Amino acid sequence: MPHPARLTLIAVAWLLCVLVICAEKHPFTAVPPSYQNPVPATKVNATRDSPFYKEEFINYAQHIQMAHVASLAELPDGSLAAVWYGGSYEYWPDVNIYFASQTNGVWSVEHSIMTVERAEHDLGRPVKCPGNAILLANPDGTLRLLFITIAMGKWSGSELNTCLSHDGGLSWSPVSRLTLSPLFNFSELVRNRPILLATPQPGADPFWCVPIYQELIGKFPELLWLTVNHGEVIAQKSRIAGGCSTLQPSLVPLDSRRAVVLLRDYTADKKIFIARTPDAGLTWSKPVPTNLPNPDSGVSGLRLSDGRLLVAFNNSTLGREKLSLALSRDEGKSWKVIVKLDNDPDSYSSYPFLLRTSDGMIHVAYTYTSNAIKMVTFNEAWITDQEAKSQNP
Amino acid sequence: MIHQFYAGLAPWLALSLLLLGRNPHPSRKRITGSLLLALVLLRIPVMDWSSYAWIRDVEANPSFILTALLAVALCRRVGGPSLFGPCDWKAAWIFGSAAALVLYPMGLGLTRFDSYELGWLPALPVATALIASTLLLGGNRFGIVLLLPLAGFFLHLQESRNFWDALVDPIYSGISLIVVLVTVFRKRTAPSQTPQCA
Repeated sequence: MPHPARLTLIAVAWLLCVLVICAEKHPFTAVPPSYQNPVPATKVNATRDSPFYKEEFINYAQHIQMAHVASLAELPDGSLAAVWYGGSYEYWPDVNIYFASQTNGVWSVEHSIMTVERAEHDLGRPVKCPGNAILLANPDGTLRLLFITIAMGKWSGSELNTCLSHDGGLSWSPVSRLTLSPLFNFSELVRNRPILLATPQPGADPFWCVPIYQELIGKFPELLWLTVNHGEVIAQKSRIAGGCSTLQPSLVPLDSRRAVVLLRDYTADKKIFIARTPDAGLTWSKPVPTNLPNPDSGVSGLRLSDGRLLVAFNNSTLGREKLSLALSRDEGKSWKVIVKLDNDPDSYSSYPFLLRTSDGMIHVAYTYTSNAIKMVTFNEAWITDQEAKSQNP
Repeated sequence: MIHQFYAGLAPWLALSLLLLGRNPHPSRKRITGSLLLALVLLRIPVMDWSSYAWIRDVEANPSFILTALLAVALCRRVGGPSLFGPCDWKAAWIFGSAAALVLYPMGLGLTRFDSYELGWLPALPVATALIASTLLLGGNRFGIVLLLPLAGFFLHLQESRNFWDALVDPIYSGISLIVVLVTVFRKRTAPSQTPQCA
Protein backbone atom coordinates (compact mmCIF):
# COMPACT_ATOMS: atom_id res chain seq x y z
CA MET A 1 0.00 0.00 0.00
CA PRO A 2 1.57 3.33 -1.01
CA HIS A 3 2.52 5.79 1.68
CA PRO A 4 -0.12 8.58 2.11
CA ALA A 5 2.55 11.25 1.52
CA ARG A 6 3.40 9.68 -1.83
CA LEU A 7 -0.25 9.64 -2.82
CA THR A 8 -0.51 13.31 -1.90
CA LEU A 9 2.51 14.11 -4.08
CA ILE A 10 1.04 12.15 -6.97
CA ALA A 11 -2.18 14.11 -6.60
CA VAL A 12 -0.13 17.33 -6.62
CA ALA A 13 1.64 16.20 -9.81
CA TRP A 14 -1.62 15.66 -11.64
CA LEU A 15 -3.15 18.85 -10.26
CA LEU A 16 -0.14 20.81 -11.56
CA CYS A 17 -0.38 19.00 -14.87
CA VAL A 18 -4.03 20.02 -15.25
CA LEU A 19 -3.20 23.61 -14.25
CA VAL A 20 -0.38 23.79 -16.82
CA ILE A 21 -2.58 22.45 -19.61
CA CYS A 22 -5.52 24.70 -18.74
CA ALA A 23 -3.41 27.84 -18.27
CA GLU A 24 -1.35 27.37 -21.42
CA LYS A 25 -2.80 28.83 -24.59
CA HIS A 26 -2.86 26.60 -27.64
CA PRO A 27 -4.30 28.92 -30.30
CA PHE A 28 -2.68 27.10 -33.20
CA THR A 29 -4.22 23.72 -32.45
CA ALA A 30 -7.70 25.12 -31.70
CA VAL A 31 -8.71 25.28 -35.36
CA PRO A 32 -7.02 23.94 -38.49
CA PRO A 33 -5.07 26.74 -40.19
CA SER A 34 -6.13 28.14 -43.53
CA TYR A 35 -4.68 30.90 -45.67
CA GLN A 36 -6.54 34.08 -46.41
CA ASN A 37 -7.28 34.69 -50.08
CA PRO A 38 -3.81 34.16 -51.58
CA VAL A 39 -4.39 36.80 -54.24
CA PRO A 40 -5.97 39.98 -52.84
CA ALA A 41 -8.86 41.74 -54.56
CA THR A 42 -7.38 43.71 -57.37
CA LYS A 43 -8.40 45.87 -60.25
CA VAL A 44 -5.69 44.41 -62.46
CA ASN A 45 -6.53 42.55 -65.63
CA ALA A 46 -3.43 40.87 -66.97
CA THR A 47 -4.64 40.89 -70.56
CA ARG A 48 -6.38 44.29 -70.67
CA ASP A 49 -3.92 46.48 -68.73
CA SER A 50 -0.90 47.92 -70.45
CA PRO A 51 2.46 46.64 -69.24
CA PHE A 52 3.98 48.67 -66.42
CA TYR A 53 7.60 48.47 -65.25
CA LYS A 54 9.60 50.74 -62.97
CA GLU A 55 12.99 50.59 -61.23
CA GLU A 56 14.03 52.66 -58.23
CA PHE A 57 16.35 52.64 -55.24
CA ILE A 58 14.80 52.52 -51.80
CA ASN A 59 17.90 53.70 -49.94
CA TYR A 60 18.90 56.24 -52.60
CA ALA A 61 20.28 58.68 -50.02
CA GLN A 62 22.09 56.17 -47.86
CA HIS A 63 25.87 56.23 -47.84
CA ILE A 64 26.72 52.88 -46.43
CA GLN A 65 29.17 50.07 -47.19
CA MET A 66 26.67 47.25 -46.93
CA ALA A 67 22.87 47.07 -47.21
CA HIS A 68 21.28 43.66 -47.39
CA VAL A 69 18.16 41.48 -47.02
CA ALA A 70 15.37 43.92 -47.84
CA SER A 71 11.77 43.06 -47.14
CA LEU A 72 8.53 44.86 -47.95
CA ALA A 73 5.05 45.15 -46.48
CA GLU A 74 1.90 46.87 -47.61
CA LEU A 75 0.37 49.06 -44.92
CA PRO A 76 -3.41 49.23 -44.51
CA ASP A 77 -3.53 52.61 -46.31
CA GLY A 78 -1.92 51.03 -49.37
CA SER A 79 1.52 52.56 -48.87
CA LEU A 80 4.67 50.43 -48.85
CA ALA A 81 7.17 49.96 -46.05
CA ALA A 82 10.62 48.43 -46.32
CA VAL A 83 13.23 47.23 -43.84
CA TRP A 84 16.77 46.04 -44.37
CA TYR A 85 19.98 45.85 -42.40
CA GLY A 86 23.08 47.84 -43.15
CA GLY A 87 26.45 48.83 -41.76
CA SER A 88 30.13 48.30 -42.43
CA TYR A 89 29.79 44.57 -42.90
CA GLU A 90 27.79 41.56 -41.72
CA TYR A 91 28.26 40.88 -38.00
CA TRP A 92 29.76 44.30 -37.33
CA PRO A 93 28.43 46.17 -34.30
CA ASP A 94 27.53 49.21 -36.41
CA VAL A 95 24.87 47.21 -38.28
CA ASN A 96 21.42 48.78 -37.88
CA ILE A 97 18.00 47.82 -39.16
CA TYR A 98 16.67 50.61 -41.39
CA PHE A 99 13.09 51.49 -42.21
CA ALA A 100 11.62 53.54 -45.05
CA SER A 101 8.08 54.03 -46.31
CA GLN A 102 6.70 54.98 -49.69
CA THR A 103 3.86 57.43 -50.00
CA ASN A 104 2.50 58.53 -53.37
CA GLY A 105 5.35 56.72 -55.07
CA VAL A 106 8.12 58.53 -53.16
CA TRP A 107 10.35 56.74 -50.67
CA SER A 108 11.07 58.52 -47.39
CA VAL A 109 14.66 58.87 -46.26
CA GLU A 110 15.43 55.75 -44.25
CA HIS A 111 15.82 55.88 -40.49
CA SER A 112 17.37 53.41 -38.11
CA ILE A 113 14.85 51.47 -36.04
CA MET A 114 17.14 48.92 -34.40
CA THR A 115 20.68 49.22 -33.16
CA VAL A 116 22.87 47.02 -30.98
CA GLU A 117 22.34 49.43 -28.09
CA ARG A 118 18.56 49.44 -28.45
CA ALA A 119 18.37 45.63 -28.67
CA GLU A 120 20.71 45.21 -25.69
CA HIS A 121 18.72 47.71 -23.64
CA ASP A 122 15.38 46.04 -24.31
CA LEU A 123 16.58 42.45 -24.07
CA GLY A 124 18.84 43.02 -21.06
CA ARG A 125 21.63 40.93 -22.52
CA PRO A 126 24.65 41.39 -24.80
CA VAL A 127 23.94 41.51 -28.52
CA LYS A 128 26.61 41.30 -31.22
CA CYS A 129 24.50 42.84 -33.99
CA PRO A 130 21.03 42.78 -35.54
CA GLY A 131 20.39 41.16 -38.92
CA ASN A 132 17.61 39.94 -41.22
CA ALA A 133 14.26 41.63 -40.57
CA ILE A 134 10.74 41.42 -41.96
CA LEU A 135 7.57 43.41 -41.38
CA LEU A 136 4.16 41.99 -40.53
CA ALA A 137 1.42 44.50 -41.41
CA ASN A 138 -1.46 43.65 -39.09
CA PRO A 139 -4.99 44.36 -40.32
CA ASP A 140 -5.52 46.75 -37.38
CA GLY A 141 -2.82 49.07 -38.75
CA THR A 142 -0.05 48.09 -36.37
CA LEU A 143 3.24 46.95 -37.79
CA ARG A 144 5.22 44.09 -36.26
CA LEU A 145 8.97 43.84 -36.80
CA LEU A 146 10.43 40.36 -36.66
CA PHE A 147 14.21 40.41 -36.71
CA ILE A 148 17.24 38.48 -35.69
CA THR A 149 19.97 39.41 -33.28
CA ILE A 150 23.23 37.53 -33.17
CA ALA A 151 24.11 36.63 -29.60
CA MET A 152 27.53 35.25 -30.50
CA GLY A 153 29.40 33.77 -33.43
CA LYS A 154 27.84 34.22 -36.85
CA TRP A 155 24.39 33.46 -38.26
CA SER A 156 24.20 30.18 -36.34
CA GLY A 157 24.14 32.26 -33.15
CA SER A 158 20.97 34.08 -34.18
CA GLU A 159 17.81 34.50 -32.18
CA LEU A 160 14.44 35.85 -33.28
CA ASN A 161 12.96 38.94 -31.66
CA THR A 162 9.89 41.07 -32.18
CA CYS A 163 8.51 44.53 -31.45
CA LEU A 164 5.43 46.50 -32.49
CA SER A 165 4.77 49.93 -33.96
CA HIS A 166 1.47 51.76 -33.60
CA ASP A 167 2.52 54.74 -35.73
CA GLY A 168 3.55 53.26 -39.04
CA GLY A 169 7.15 52.52 -38.10
CA LEU A 170 8.16 55.77 -36.41
CA SER A 171 8.42 54.34 -32.91
CA TRP A 172 8.60 50.76 -31.65
CA SER A 173 7.63 48.94 -28.47
CA PRO A 174 10.30 47.22 -26.35
CA VAL A 175 11.85 44.19 -28.00
CA SER A 176 11.01 40.73 -26.76
CA ARG A 177 12.85 37.52 -27.61
CA LEU A 178 11.15 34.41 -28.96
CA THR A 179 12.33 31.06 -27.60
CA LEU A 180 12.19 28.60 -30.49
CA SER A 181 15.20 26.29 -30.31
CA PRO A 182 16.20 23.70 -27.69
CA LEU A 183 19.95 24.31 -27.89
CA PHE A 184 20.48 27.66 -26.12
CA ASN A 185 17.74 29.07 -28.42
CA PHE A 186 20.36 29.52 -31.14
CA SER A 187 19.97 29.71 -34.86
CA GLU A 188 16.46 30.73 -35.81
CA LEU A 189 16.43 33.09 -38.77
CA VAL A 190 13.81 34.86 -40.86
CA ARG A 191 13.98 36.24 -44.38
CA ASN A 192 10.90 35.74 -46.53
CA ARG A 193 7.39 37.08 -46.78
CA PRO A 194 4.95 36.22 -43.94
CA ILE A 195 1.48 34.93 -44.76
CA LEU A 196 -1.63 36.06 -42.92
CA LEU A 197 -3.86 33.19 -41.85
CA ALA A 198 -7.64 33.27 -41.59
CA THR A 199 -8.64 33.92 -37.99
CA PRO A 200 -11.16 31.73 -36.12
CA GLN A 201 -13.55 34.68 -35.81
CA PRO A 202 -13.65 38.15 -37.37
CA GLY A 203 -11.74 40.79 -35.46
CA ALA A 204 -9.60 38.25 -33.61
CA ASP A 205 -5.88 38.86 -33.22
CA PRO A 206 -4.09 38.13 -36.48
CA PHE A 207 -2.54 34.71 -37.01
CA TRP A 208 0.68 34.75 -39.02
CA CYS A 209 2.57 31.95 -40.67
CA VAL A 210 6.17 33.06 -41.16
CA PRO A 211 8.71 30.99 -43.08
CA ILE A 212 11.86 30.70 -40.97
CA TYR A 213 14.91 28.44 -41.01
CA GLN A 214 17.61 27.02 -38.83
CA GLU A 215 21.30 26.82 -39.64
CA LEU A 216 23.17 25.57 -36.63
CA ILE A 217 24.12 21.91 -37.07
CA GLY A 218 21.67 21.26 -39.89
CA LYS A 219 20.20 23.74 -42.34
CA PHE A 220 16.49 23.26 -42.80
CA PRO A 221 13.21 25.16 -43.32
CA GLU A 222 10.56 25.72 -40.70
CA LEU A 223 7.35 27.69 -40.15
CA LEU A 224 6.80 30.13 -37.32
CA TRP A 225 3.20 30.42 -36.13
CA LEU A 226 2.70 33.78 -34.50
CA THR A 227 -0.23 35.47 -32.82
CA VAL A 228 -0.98 37.73 -29.88
CA ASN A 229 -3.23 36.88 -26.95
CA HIS A 230 -4.08 39.73 -24.56
CA GLY A 231 -0.87 41.51 -25.55
CA GLU A 232 1.33 38.43 -25.12
CA VAL A 233 3.11 37.24 -28.24
CA ILE A 234 2.57 33.51 -28.74
CA ALA A 235 5.10 31.89 -31.03
CA GLN A 236 5.45 28.24 -31.98
CA LYS A 237 7.14 26.57 -34.89
CA SER A 238 6.84 23.47 -37.01
CA ARG A 239 9.20 21.81 -39.44
CA ILE A 240 9.01 21.66 -43.22
CA ALA A 241 12.04 19.40 -43.72
CA GLY A 242 15.01 18.27 -41.70
CA GLY A 243 18.63 17.55 -42.48
CA CYS A 244 21.23 19.82 -43.93
CA SER A 245 19.86 20.51 -47.36
CA THR A 246 17.62 23.52 -47.88
CA LEU A 247 16.86 26.78 -46.16
CA GLN A 248 15.19 30.20 -46.49
CA PRO A 249 11.72 28.94 -47.46
CA SER A 250 9.43 31.17 -49.50
CA LEU A 251 5.83 30.22 -48.75
CA VAL A 252 3.36 30.51 -51.64
CA PRO A 253 -0.29 29.68 -50.87
CA LEU A 254 -2.16 28.16 -53.81
CA ASP A 255 -5.59 28.26 -52.18
CA SER A 256 -6.90 28.35 -48.64
CA ARG A 257 -5.24 25.04 -47.70
CA ARG A 258 -2.63 24.09 -50.30
CA ALA A 259 0.72 25.80 -50.61
CA VAL A 260 4.25 25.29 -51.88
CA VAL A 261 7.56 26.43 -50.46
CA LEU A 262 10.46 27.35 -52.69
CA LEU A 263 13.77 26.63 -51.04
CA ARG A 264 17.33 27.83 -51.31
CA ASP A 265 19.63 24.90 -51.97
CA TYR A 266 22.53 23.97 -49.74
CA THR A 267 23.38 20.73 -51.53
CA ALA A 268 25.56 19.94 -54.51
CA ASP A 269 22.44 19.88 -56.73
CA LYS A 270 22.46 23.69 -57.03
CA LYS A 271 18.73 23.74 -57.80
CA ILE A 272 15.78 25.53 -56.27
CA PHE A 273 13.84 22.95 -54.26
CA ILE A 274 10.08 22.77 -53.82
CA ALA A 275 7.84 21.12 -51.20
CA ARG A 276 4.05 20.99 -50.95
CA THR A 277 1.46 21.03 -48.20
CA PRO A 278 -2.18 19.95 -48.50
CA ASP A 279 -3.18 21.29 -45.06
CA ALA A 280 -1.86 24.86 -44.74
CA GLY A 281 1.55 23.83 -43.46
CA LEU A 282 0.74 21.05 -40.99
CA THR A 283 2.36 18.39 -43.16
CA TRP A 284 4.83 18.70 -46.04
CA SER A 285 6.04 16.56 -48.89
CA LYS A 286 9.74 15.84 -49.23
CA PRO A 287 11.49 18.74 -51.00
CA VAL A 288 12.44 17.92 -54.59
CA PRO A 289 14.62 19.89 -57.00
CA THR A 290 13.03 22.02 -59.71
CA ASN A 291 14.55 22.75 -63.09
CA LEU A 292 15.75 26.18 -61.90
CA PRO A 293 19.38 26.69 -60.79
CA ASN A 294 20.36 28.05 -57.40
CA PRO A 295 23.84 29.19 -56.39
CA ASP A 296 23.07 28.86 -52.64
CA SER A 297 21.19 32.18 -52.66
CA GLY A 298 17.76 33.42 -51.58
CA VAL A 299 14.62 32.96 -53.67
CA SER A 300 11.17 34.49 -53.42
CA GLY A 301 7.90 33.38 -54.97
CA LEU A 302 4.24 34.35 -55.22
CA ARG A 303 1.05 33.34 -56.99
CA LEU A 304 -0.43 35.52 -59.74
CA SER A 305 -4.14 36.17 -60.14
CA ASP A 306 -4.52 33.50 -62.84
CA GLY A 307 -2.79 30.79 -60.81
CA ARG A 308 0.65 31.05 -62.42
CA LEU A 309 3.54 31.05 -59.95
CA LEU A 310 6.28 33.64 -60.17
CA VAL A 311 9.74 33.26 -58.68
CA ALA A 312 12.62 35.72 -58.41
CA PHE A 313 16.00 33.99 -58.24
CA ASN A 314 19.63 34.05 -59.36
CA ASN A 315 19.68 32.22 -62.67
CA SER A 316 23.14 30.77 -62.14
CA THR A 317 24.93 27.98 -60.37
CA LEU A 318 28.09 30.02 -59.97
CA GLY A 319 27.22 33.10 -57.94
CA ARG A 320 24.68 35.71 -57.00
CA GLU A 321 24.26 37.12 -60.47
CA LYS A 322 21.63 37.23 -63.22
CA LEU A 323 18.66 38.03 -60.99
CA SER A 324 15.75 36.72 -63.03
CA LEU A 325 12.05 35.92 -62.99
CA ALA A 326 10.57 32.55 -63.90
CA LEU A 327 6.97 31.40 -64.30
CA SER A 328 5.24 28.10 -63.65
CA ARG A 329 1.86 27.21 -65.14
CA ASP A 330 1.60 23.88 -63.30
CA GLU A 331 1.93 24.91 -59.66
CA GLY A 332 5.68 24.60 -59.58
CA LYS A 333 6.23 21.31 -61.43
CA SER A 334 8.06 23.04 -64.28
CA TRP A 335 9.44 26.54 -64.65
CA LYS A 336 10.36 28.81 -67.51
CA VAL A 337 12.71 31.76 -67.17
CA ILE A 338 11.03 34.84 -68.67
CA VAL A 339 13.30 37.80 -67.99
CA LYS A 340 16.54 38.91 -66.39
CA LEU A 341 15.93 41.80 -64.02
CA ASP A 342 19.43 43.21 -63.95
CA ASN A 343 21.30 43.36 -67.21
CA ASP A 344 24.46 44.85 -65.77
CA PRO A 345 27.00 41.97 -66.06
CA ASP A 346 29.00 43.31 -63.14
CA SER A 347 26.09 43.77 -60.80
CA TYR A 348 25.66 41.65 -57.71
CA SER A 349 21.91 41.23 -57.29
CA SER A 350 20.55 38.87 -54.70
CA TYR A 351 18.08 38.17 -51.95
CA PRO A 352 14.90 39.11 -53.82
CA PHE A 353 11.71 39.74 -51.84
CA LEU A 354 8.47 39.57 -53.83
CA LEU A 355 5.32 41.32 -52.69
CA ARG A 356 2.02 41.77 -54.46
CA THR A 357 0.07 44.81 -53.27
CA SER A 358 -3.70 45.27 -53.30
CA ASP A 359 -3.48 47.49 -56.40
CA GLY A 360 -2.21 44.45 -58.31
CA MET A 361 1.35 45.70 -58.62
CA ILE A 362 4.19 43.28 -57.96
CA HIS A 363 7.30 44.58 -56.23
CA VAL A 364 10.72 42.95 -56.02
CA ALA A 365 13.12 44.44 -53.52
CA TYR A 366 16.68 43.11 -53.60
CA THR A 367 20.28 43.77 -52.72
CA TYR A 368 22.08 45.53 -55.55
CA THR A 369 25.90 45.75 -55.64
CA SER A 370 26.06 44.99 -51.91
CA ASN A 371 25.22 48.49 -50.65
CA ALA A 372 21.97 49.46 -52.35
CA ILE A 373 18.42 48.26 -51.96
CA LYS A 374 16.73 48.34 -55.34
CA MET A 375 13.06 47.83 -56.07
CA VAL A 376 11.47 46.85 -59.34
CA THR A 377 7.71 47.29 -59.74
CA PHE A 378 5.64 45.76 -62.52
CA ASN A 379 2.17 44.46 -63.22
CA GLU A 380 0.85 41.15 -64.49
CA ALA A 381 0.47 42.57 -68.00
CA TRP A 382 4.23 43.18 -68.06
CA ILE A 383 4.85 39.59 -66.93
CA THR A 384 2.57 38.30 -69.69
CA ASP A 385 4.41 40.54 -72.14
CA GLN A 386 7.81 39.23 -70.99
CA GLU A 387 6.57 35.65 -71.16
CA ALA A 388 5.48 36.18 -74.75
CA LYS A 389 8.84 37.77 -75.60
CA SER A 390 10.73 34.87 -74.03
CA GLN A 391 8.75 32.43 -76.19
CA ASN A 392 9.34 34.50 -79.36
CA PRO A 393 12.67 36.22 -78.81
CA MET B 1 12.28 40.47 -13.99
CA ILE B 2 11.16 37.13 -12.53
CA HIS B 3 12.74 35.38 -15.54
CA GLN B 4 16.07 37.08 -14.89
CA PHE B 5 15.95 36.20 -11.20
CA TYR B 6 15.13 32.56 -11.88
CA ALA B 7 17.78 32.27 -14.61
CA GLY B 8 20.39 33.48 -12.08
CA LEU B 9 19.66 30.73 -9.55
CA ALA B 10 21.38 27.87 -11.39
CA PRO B 11 24.64 29.79 -12.10
CA TRP B 12 24.74 30.96 -8.48
CA LEU B 13 24.23 27.43 -7.11
CA ALA B 14 26.78 25.96 -9.53
CA LEU B 15 29.38 28.61 -8.74
CA SER B 16 28.81 28.18 -4.99
CA LEU B 17 29.40 24.43 -5.33
CA LEU B 18 32.63 25.08 -7.22
CA LEU B 19 33.86 27.58 -4.64
CA LEU B 20 33.16 25.18 -1.78
CA GLY B 21 35.74 22.87 -3.28
CA ARG B 22 36.25 19.26 -2.29
CA ASN B 23 36.52 19.84 1.47
CA PRO B 24 34.00 17.32 2.93
CA HIS B 25 33.28 19.43 6.02
CA PRO B 26 33.40 23.14 5.12
CA SER B 27 33.13 25.58 7.99
CA ARG B 28 30.09 27.86 8.35
CA LYS B 29 32.38 30.78 7.48
CA ARG B 30 33.50 29.09 4.28
CA ILE B 31 29.94 28.24 3.31
CA THR B 32 28.73 31.82 3.80
CA GLY B 33 31.81 33.17 2.05
CA SER B 34 31.33 30.87 -0.93
CA LEU B 35 27.66 31.77 -1.34
CA LEU B 36 28.43 35.49 -1.16
CA LEU B 37 31.51 35.28 -3.36
CA ALA B 38 29.46 33.45 -6.01
CA LEU B 39 27.03 36.36 -6.00
CA VAL B 40 29.88 38.85 -6.34
CA LEU B 41 31.50 36.87 -9.16
CA LEU B 42 28.25 36.87 -11.10
CA ARG B 43 28.21 40.67 -10.83
CA ILE B 44 31.75 41.16 -12.15
CA PRO B 45 31.60 43.28 -15.30
CA VAL B 46 33.04 41.73 -18.46
CA MET B 47 32.99 43.94 -21.55
CA ASP B 48 30.27 46.28 -20.19
CA TRP B 49 28.06 43.42 -18.99
CA SER B 50 28.02 41.40 -15.77
CA SER B 51 29.32 37.87 -16.05
CA TYR B 52 25.76 36.75 -15.21
CA ALA B 53 24.45 38.61 -18.28
CA TRP B 54 26.94 36.69 -20.44
CA ILE B 55 25.86 33.40 -18.88
CA ARG B 56 22.23 34.33 -19.47
CA ASP B 57 23.09 35.30 -23.03
CA VAL B 58 23.99 31.65 -23.62
CA GLU B 59 21.47 29.91 -21.38
CA ALA B 60 18.44 32.01 -20.49
CA ASN B 61 16.29 29.05 -19.53
CA PRO B 62 18.07 26.70 -17.13
CA SER B 63 15.73 23.78 -16.55
CA PHE B 64 13.96 23.45 -13.23
CA ILE B 65 15.48 19.99 -12.85
CA LEU B 66 19.04 21.35 -13.22
CA THR B 67 18.32 24.05 -10.65
CA ALA B 68 16.78 21.50 -8.27
CA LEU B 69 19.67 19.05 -8.65
CA LEU B 70 22.18 21.83 -7.97
CA ALA B 71 20.19 22.81 -4.87
CA VAL B 72 20.14 19.17 -3.68
CA ALA B 73 23.89 18.87 -4.24
CA LEU B 74 24.60 22.16 -2.47
CA CYS B 75 22.36 21.20 0.45
CA ARG B 76 24.38 18.03 0.94
CA ARG B 77 27.66 19.89 0.41
CA VAL B 78 26.98 22.41 3.20
CA GLY B 79 26.16 19.66 5.69
CA GLY B 80 22.41 19.67 5.28
CA PRO B 81 20.27 16.54 4.99
CA SER B 82 21.11 14.14 2.19
CA LEU B 83 17.97 14.61 0.12
CA PHE B 84 18.95 12.21 -2.66
CA GLY B 85 20.15 8.65 -2.44
CA PRO B 86 22.04 6.80 -5.19
CA CYS B 87 18.81 5.57 -6.76
CA ASP B 88 17.39 9.09 -6.90
CA TRP B 89 20.53 10.35 -8.65
CA LYS B 90 20.45 7.40 -10.99
CA ALA B 91 16.86 8.25 -11.96
CA ALA B 92 17.89 11.90 -12.53
CA TRP B 93 20.72 10.93 -14.88
CA ILE B 94 18.66 8.36 -16.78
CA PHE B 95 15.82 10.86 -17.20
CA GLY B 96 18.24 13.60 -18.36
CA SER B 97 20.00 11.39 -20.87
CA ALA B 98 16.77 9.87 -22.20
CA ALA B 99 15.21 13.32 -22.62
CA ALA B 100 18.39 14.55 -24.32
CA LEU B 101 18.32 11.67 -26.79
CA VAL B 102 14.67 12.33 -27.60
CA LEU B 103 14.99 16.10 -27.82
CA TYR B 104 18.30 17.20 -29.30
CA PRO B 105 18.97 15.01 -32.34
CA MET B 106 15.42 15.52 -33.64
CA GLY B 107 15.12 19.09 -32.41
CA LEU B 108 18.27 20.06 -34.24
CA GLY B 109 17.17 18.65 -37.57
CA LEU B 110 18.23 15.01 -37.75
CA THR B 111 14.72 13.96 -38.77
CA ARG B 112 11.67 15.51 -40.39
CA PHE B 113 9.87 15.24 -37.04
CA ASP B 114 10.72 17.98 -34.56
CA SER B 115 10.41 16.67 -31.00
CA TYR B 116 10.74 20.26 -29.68
CA GLU B 117 7.20 20.89 -31.02
CA LEU B 118 5.88 18.48 -28.36
CA GLY B 119 6.81 21.08 -25.76
CA TRP B 120 3.98 23.31 -26.97
CA LEU B 121 1.43 20.51 -26.65
CA PRO B 122 -0.26 19.03 -23.54
CA ALA B 123 1.40 15.64 -24.10
CA LEU B 124 4.67 16.55 -22.41
CA PRO B 125 3.22 17.77 -19.07
CA VAL B 126 1.05 14.63 -19.00
CA ALA B 127 4.09 12.42 -19.66
CA THR B 128 5.98 14.26 -16.90
CA ALA B 129 3.15 13.74 -14.40
CA LEU B 130 3.02 10.08 -15.38
CA ILE B 131 6.76 9.55 -14.87
CA ALA B 132 6.63 11.52 -11.60
CA SER B 133 3.76 9.33 -10.37
CA THR B 134 5.58 6.13 -11.26
CA LEU B 135 8.74 7.27 -9.49
CA LEU B 136 6.81 8.46 -6.43
CA LEU B 137 4.97 5.15 -6.17
CA GLY B 138 8.37 3.44 -6.16
CA GLY B 139 9.62 5.81 -3.48
CA ASN B 140 12.11 7.56 -5.76
CA ARG B 141 12.67 11.17 -4.73
CA PHE B 142 13.46 12.30 -8.25
CA GLY B 143 9.69 12.11 -8.65
CA ILE B 144 9.41 15.10 -6.31
CA VAL B 145 11.93 17.02 -8.45
CA LEU B 146 9.74 16.32 -11.47
CA LEU B 147 6.96 18.33 -9.84
CA LEU B 148 9.11 21.46 -10.11
CA PRO B 149 8.97 21.83 -13.93
CA LEU B 150 5.19 21.61 -13.70
CA ALA B 151 5.03 24.20 -10.93
CA GLY B 152 7.67 26.50 -12.43
CA PHE B 153 6.10 26.38 -15.87
CA PHE B 154 2.69 27.15 -14.42
CA LEU B 155 4.16 30.15 -12.57
CA HIS B 156 5.90 31.44 -15.76
CA LEU B 157 9.30 31.53 -14.04
CA GLN B 158 11.09 30.95 -17.35
CA GLU B 159 11.24 33.12 -20.46
CA SER B 160 10.47 30.07 -22.61
CA ARG B 161 6.91 28.84 -23.06
CA ASN B 162 8.05 25.45 -24.32
CA PHE B 163 7.76 22.70 -21.69
CA TRP B 164 10.95 20.99 -22.89
CA ASP B 165 12.89 23.99 -21.55
CA ALA B 166 11.30 23.43 -18.14
CA LEU B 167 12.46 19.81 -18.16
CA VAL B 168 15.92 19.81 -19.72
CA ASP B 169 18.65 22.11 -20.91
CA PRO B 170 21.91 21.36 -22.70
CA ILE B 171 23.93 21.47 -19.47
CA TYR B 172 21.78 19.00 -17.53
CA SER B 173 21.46 16.83 -20.62
CA GLY B 174 25.20 16.86 -21.28
CA ILE B 175 26.09 15.94 -17.69
CA SER B 176 23.43 13.20 -17.66
CA LEU B 177 24.74 11.65 -20.85
CA ILE B 178 28.31 11.68 -19.57
CA VAL B 179 27.33 10.12 -16.22
CA VAL B 180 25.23 7.40 -17.90
CA LEU B 181 27.95 6.62 -20.45
CA VAL B 182 30.65 6.45 -17.78
CA THR B 183 28.44 4.22 -15.60
CA VAL B 184 27.68 1.88 -18.47
CA PHE B 185 31.37 1.74 -19.44
CA ARG B 186 32.40 0.98 -15.86
CA LYS B 187 29.78 -1.73 -15.53
CA ARG B 188 30.97 -3.38 -18.71
CA THR B 189 34.62 -3.30 -17.69
CA ALA B 190 34.15 -4.15 -14.00
CA PRO B 191 30.71 -5.34 -12.83
CA SER B 192 30.14 -3.68 -9.48
CA GLN B 193 27.80 -4.20 -6.58
CA THR B 194 25.65 -1.11 -7.09
CA PRO B 195 22.46 -1.05 -5.01
CA GLN B 196 19.31 -2.30 -6.69
CA CYS B 197 16.84 0.56 -7.13
CA ALA B 198 13.14 0.11 -6.77
